[in-house]
Amino acid sequence: MNPTVSDERDRAERIRLSIMGPQTRSSRMSYRISRFKSTHTLYILLLASLAVLQFISIAFFAKGFLLTRTVLDNVAELDPQLPFEAKYDKMVLLIVDALRFDFVIPVDENHAKYNPNYHNNLKVLYETAHNSTDSVLLKFLADPPTTTLQRLKGLTTGSLPTFIDAGSNFNGDVIDEDNLIKQLYLHNKKIFFAGDDTWDALFNPYLAPESVPYESLNVWDLDTVDNGVISYLEEYYFNEEKRSEYDILIGHMLGVDHVGHKYGPNHFTMKEKQLQVDELLRKIISTADDNTLYVVMGDHGMDHTGNHGGDSQDELESVLWLYAKNANWSKDYDSYNTTDLGTSYKQMNQIDLVPTLSLLLGIPIPFNNLGWPLDEIANDPEELTLYHNICRNQLEKYLSVSNIIGATARRDALISVENHPEFQQMFLEICKDLWARFDFTSICVGIALMAFSLILLLIIIKLIPSIVVGQMVGDFVGCVVVISAISNVSFQGIYQVLHQPAFLDNSLWCSAFATSVGIILGVFIPIFDRYSVQWLCLRLVEELSDYWSRIATLFITLHALLFTSNSFTIWEDRIVAFLLTTFGMLTLYEFAFLPQRHSTAAILSGAGEKQGTLSGKSVGESNSDSLPLGRFARILGGYHSIVLVLCTRLSSMITICREEQGPYCTPTFTISNNYSYYTMLGCLFLIPAIPSCIKGYYNVCSSYQAAAPIWIGLILKGSLFASFTYWSLLTIENKFEDLAWDLTIWKYTISRIIVGISLIACNIGWMKGPLCVKLNIHNTDLKSQQATILGYSNVYGSQYFLLVINFLMAIMLFNKPLGQLSIFLMCNQLLSIIEICDLLKVKESLIGPVALGLLAYQQFFSTGHQATIPSVQWDMGFILTEKIIFPWTHLGIVLNTFGPFILVALSVALLTLWKQPPSVLQPQTILARIVSNSGTLLIYNSVLCLSSFVWVTHFRRHLMVWKIFCPRFLFASLCLIVSQLVVTFITIGFASSRLIRQISQLFSK
Amino acid sequence: MHNRKRKTVKKTVSFSDDQNLTNANLNNHRKGHIDDDTPPVYVRKSWTLIPFHLLALLYWFLKYTDFNLLALLYIMIPTQVIYLIFRFNKNTIYGKKRLRLNWLLVFITLGACLLLSIPCLAIIVLFGAPFVELLKESWLLALHCCFLTYPAVYDVFNCNFKVGYFKKYFISVVIGCWISCFVIPLDWDRDWQAWPVPLIVGAYLGSFIGFSIGGYI
Repeated sequence: MNPTVSDERDRAERIRLSIMGPQTRSSRMSYRISRFKSTHTLYILLLASLAVLQFISIAFFAKGFLLTRTVLDNVAELDPQLPFEAKYDKMVLLIVDALRFDFVIPVDENHAKYNPNYHNNLKVLYETAHNSTDSVLLKFLADPPTTTLQRLKGLTTGSLPTFIDAGSNFNGDVIDEDNLIKQLYLHNKKIFFAGDDTWDALFNPYLAPESVPYESLNVWDLDTVDNGVISYLEEYYFNEEKRSEYDILIGHMLGVDHVGHKYGPNHFTMKEKQLQVDELLRKIISTADDNTLYVVMGDHGMDHTGNHGGDSQDELESVLWLYAKNANWSKDYDSYNTTDLGTSYKQMNQIDLVPTLSLLLGIPIPFNNLGWPLDEIANDPEELTLYHNICRNQLEKYLSVSNIIGATARRDALISVENHPEFQQMFLEICKDLWARFDFTSICVGIALMAFSLILLLIIIKLIPSIVVGQMVGDFVGCVVVISAISNVSFQGIYQVLHQPAFLDNSLWCSAFATSVGIILGVFIPIFDRYSVQWLCLRLVEELSDYWSRIATLFITLHALLFTSNSFTIWEDRIVAFLLTTFGMLTLYEFAFLPQRHSTAAILSGAGEKQGTLSGKSVGESNSDSLPLGRFARILGGYHSIVLVLCTRLSSMITICREEQGPYCTPTFTISNNYSYYTMLGCLFLIPAIPSCIKGYYNVCSSYQAAAPIWIGLILKGSLFASFTYWSLLTIENKFEDLAWDLTIWKYTISRIIVGISLIACNIGWMKGPLCVKLNIHNTDLKSQQATILGYSNVYGSQYFLLVINFLMAIMLFNKPLGQLSIFLMCNQLLSIIEICDLLKVKESLIGPVALGLLAYQQFFSTGHQATIPSVQWDMGFILTEKIIFPWTHLGIVLNTFGPFILVALSVALLTLWKQPPSVLQPQTILARIVSNSGTLLIYNSVLCLSSFVWVTHFRRHLMVWKIFCPRFLFASLCLIVSQLVVTFITIGFASSRLIRQISQLFSK
Repeated sequence: MHNRKRKTVKKTVSFSDDQNLTNANLNNHRKGHIDDDTPPVYVRKSWTLIPFHLLALLYWFLKYTDFNLLALLYIMIPTQVIYLIFRFNKNTIYGKKRLRLNWLLVFITLGACLLLSIPCLAIIVLFGAPFVELLKESWLLALHCCFLTYPAVYDVFNCNFKVGYFKKYFISVVIGCWISCFVIPLDWDRDWQAWPVPLIVGAYLGSFIGFSIGGYI
C-alpha cells in the first residue's frame, strides 16, 4: 500500500474526528441538558406538590381556628312607625371584670364547691333583687372567646365575636360597626368613663373628654384601676353638683379579674376585692336617683385557675343586675333558683343586653344586633309586643341587608317562623353556627397535614441522599399525580353520595382534603418502596451526629419552643438576634481556636471537593498538614464572624416595640427617627456603601468583572440613588407642612421607575445570563501568551447574586429609611454567613439554611415589624399607587413585610453556588444540593409553623391568644407560604436551572 | 502548635491542641515513663476542687444582699484567690510536678482579669445587653465572669498562654450565662429577674460545675 495514501487517509480520519468530535460532544451535552431539564421540571413539581400540601394544611387550620364574620357599616335609625318612650334618661353602668355568677348568689356552706374566699362575699346584688321589684339579677351568658376585648364588642354591638371581623380595618382600634355607645353618642348623651383602657381604644370618639382610662394589661397590679374608678365615682357620682354633667356614667373595674390571673380565685385577696365592690355598690344604691338606670355586670367568668378566654361553663357564666329606684320589673320569681350554685337560675345571653338597654334608654337597636330584649323590662303585654316588633324589624332588616344566609331553604324556614322569640333563637343559632365556633376537626386535620408535610420534607430533603432523590423524583411525581387523582375521585364520590366525611363543608374542601391525602400517599409509596422506617430513623441519627447539625437542631428547637410562652413570643425579636449572635460567636470560636473536630470533619466533607484556599496557595502550603483551615482562611473567617455579630447587634438596635414589651423597650423605629436628618444622611451614605460592600465580597474571588460592575456599580447605585431621592421627597413632605410644590407626581414617577427597572428590566436582563468572568490575557514572554479566567472559582455565585440584587433594589424602596439601614446590614450579614459556611465546609449541613432563616427573622424585626397586626406598615402599599389597586398595593406590603424572607429564600441557593467552581460537579448534583439547602430552609419554617399551630391551639383559652399567639400563627403561616413560593418558583424554578445550564454549557469539558 | 521545652521538666511537653501530635510525642517517650499518657498539664480529679465557696456566696447574694453586685465582687475576689492558692494550684499538675505558687503572677492575674473584663463586656453587649443604659451593671457582670475564671487565668499565664487545656473553665462560665438568659424575658416580675442577676447566677453555677468536674473532662 502506498504510504502516502495511508497518510492521506489518516489525515482524513483526523479531520473527520476533529469535525465530528465536537458534534458528538455537543450531542452528548444536549442530551445531558435535556435530561437535566426534565429532572428540573420534576423537582419543581415535587416541591410544588409539597407546597400545595402545606397550603392545604394551613387552610384547614385557619378555617378551624379563625372565626370570621362580615361587618356592615350601616347605622340603625329609629323607626317612626314603631315609636316608643325612653324609660330612663340616665344610666350608671358598672362592669366588674370576670365576675362569675356564683360569686354573687348565696351559696350553701355545705355545698361541695363552697369556698369562703369567693362565695357569699358580694351579697348586695342578690339582697336587693330578692323579693323586690326594683331590681333584677340574672345569669349572664357570654359567647366564647371570653376575652375582655371580644366581650366588650359583643356587649355593645349585640353581635357575636370573631377574631377577624372582615371588612373592618385591621388596626382593631375603634369599633366601626354600629354599637350601643355610638348610638348613645349620636343621641346626644354625654358619656363619662373610667376604668379599663380597652374602652378608650374601642370607643374613644364617643367618650367625653373627662373620661379616665387606666392601663389594663398589667395583671399584677390589683388596685390602681379599681381605686381610679372609685375616686372617679366619688368625683362625679357621689358629688351631687356634678351629677348633672353626664348622661351615661361607665366604670370598668379590673380587680377581681387581676386577682384571678395573679392568684386564682381561691385567695384571700379575692375576698377583699369582692367586699370592696360590695361596699361600693351599697353606697351607690343608697344614693340612687330617680330616672336613672343602674346596671352592674361582669363581662365573663373565670375558670378554677382564674384565667379565661375559652368556653367552659365557669368562664361563660357572668352576672347582670338591673336596678332603678321605684322600678317595677315584671319578674317571674320561680325562675330564680339559687340552689347548687345557681345551675338552674334564669339566664340571658350577653348580646341581649344591647336591645334591652336600647329600649330602656329610647335609642334605636344597633344595626348588627342579634340579641333579644329581656321580658322583665316590659310593664305590660302590649309593651312587650311592641318591643318584640321593634326587635324583629331590626333583625329582619339585618338579615336582608347582610344576606348572610343567602337565598336558601334555611332562610325561608327562618322567615316563616311567626313567633318572634323563636325567630330570634333560630337566627342566632344559624349565626353561631356560621361564625363563632372553633372547628376542632379542621384544626386537627390542619395540624396532622402539617406534621405529615414536615416528615415528608425531612425524608426527601435530608434523609434520602440527594442524588437518590434525583433519580426517584420521577417516581414521586408520577405517584403523586396518579394517587391524587384516584383519591380525589373516591373522596368526591363518597362525599357526593354519602356526604361523608362530615367536617368537609363543600366539594372544594373535599377535593383539597383528597388532594392532600393523595400527595402524602404518593410521596410515601416510593419512599417505603425502597427504604424501611428503621433505616430512615438510623439516617436521622446519623444526620444529627455532627457538631454543626446539632447546633442547628438546637436553634430550630429553641425557636420553635418560643411559642410555649407568651413572654418568649413577645420577646422573639431579641431572642432571634441572640441566637444569630450565638451562631456568629460559635463560628468565631471555631476560627480562633480551631477545635479538634475539624480534622475529621474536613476529611469527611471536603474529600471530593477541591479545597481552594483564598491565598491562592495550595492547601499544603498555606497551613500545616494537620489543620484543615489555612491561616488566611482563619483570619478571613474570623473577620466575617465579627462582621456578622457586629451587624446583628447594630441592626437589632432598630426596633418598633410591641405594646406588651412595655417599659423594657424603647422604640427607635419611630416616625421622627425615620425622617430625621441623621437617618437621611445614613441613607445617603448607603448609596456608595452597599455597592462597595458587595464589591468587597466579589473581589475575594476576583469576580468583580464584566457584568458585575454594570450591575452593582451602575444599576444598583442608580436605583439606590433613586430610592434615596424618593425618601428625601417624603421627608421633605413630612418636615414642612405647607409646601408650595406638589411632589406627588415626582414620587410616583420615581417609585414606578425603580420597581420597573428592578423587578422587570433587571430580571429580564438576568435571564440573558450576565457572566462575571473576564479573560485576562497577558504575555509571559514575547511569543507565548497566558490566559487566566478571572472570577472562575465563583462563576455561579457571582452571577446568582446579581438576581438577589434585583430584588434587593425593590425591597430597599419599600422600606422606611431606618429599615433601609437595616437591610444594608443584612447584605453584609447574608454574605458573611455564606462565606463562613464556605470556609467551614458546612455547605451541606443544616446550619447554613438555619442561620439564614434566623437572619430573616432578625431582619424582619429590625426593619420595623413585629408579629402583630397593628405593626404591619400599611402605608407602604401606597408607594406605587394612590388607591388600592390589586397587584401594586399588595406588592408593596408584601415586599415590605416579607422582604428579608424573600432575600433569604433567594440566597439560600448561594450556600451551594457561592465559590463553586464550574465543571466540578454534575449539573444534576448542583441542582440536588440547591434543593437540599432550600428544603432545609422550608423545614425550618415548617417546624415553626407546626409549633405555632400546636401552641395556639393549646393556648386558645389564654388571655392573650388574640393578641399574641394568633397573630404569631398567622405570621408563621404567611412566612411559610412566602418562602415556599419564592423557593419553588424563583430560586429553583426560575433561577437555578437557567444558571446551571448556561454555565455547564460554557465550561463543560 | 509548637513544641516547647521547659527546663524544670525533663520530658518534652506539647501544649498543642492537636491530640495526635501530643500523643505522638508522648509515645516516643513512653519507654522511660510509664504514666506518661496523661496530658502535659492537667488538673487532678479531686473532690477538693469543688468550689463550695461559690455556692455559699451565691446563696448569700440572693438571700441577704438585695442583689448588691459590688459587695459580692469584693468578697468573691479574695475567696477566689484563696481557692487558687489552697485548692486549684495544689491540684494542677505541670508535667509531673506541682509548681509552687508564683506570688507575682497571682497579682498580675488579678490585673489581667480586670483588663479581660473589657473584652468580656464587649461580648456581653454584642449579645444584646443594653449599651448605654445599665453599662455599669453589664461591666460588673463582666468582672464577675472574669474573676470566676481567675484560677484558670492564672494557670494560663503559668503555662505560657496555652489556653487549650483550660478552655473548658471559660466555656463553662459562658454556657452558664448563655443558658440563664432564658429567664430574662419571662413576665414573672420578680426582682431577681433584673439585669444582670440571672446571668450572675448562671455564671456562678456554670463555674461551680465547671471547676467541679473540670478534672474529669
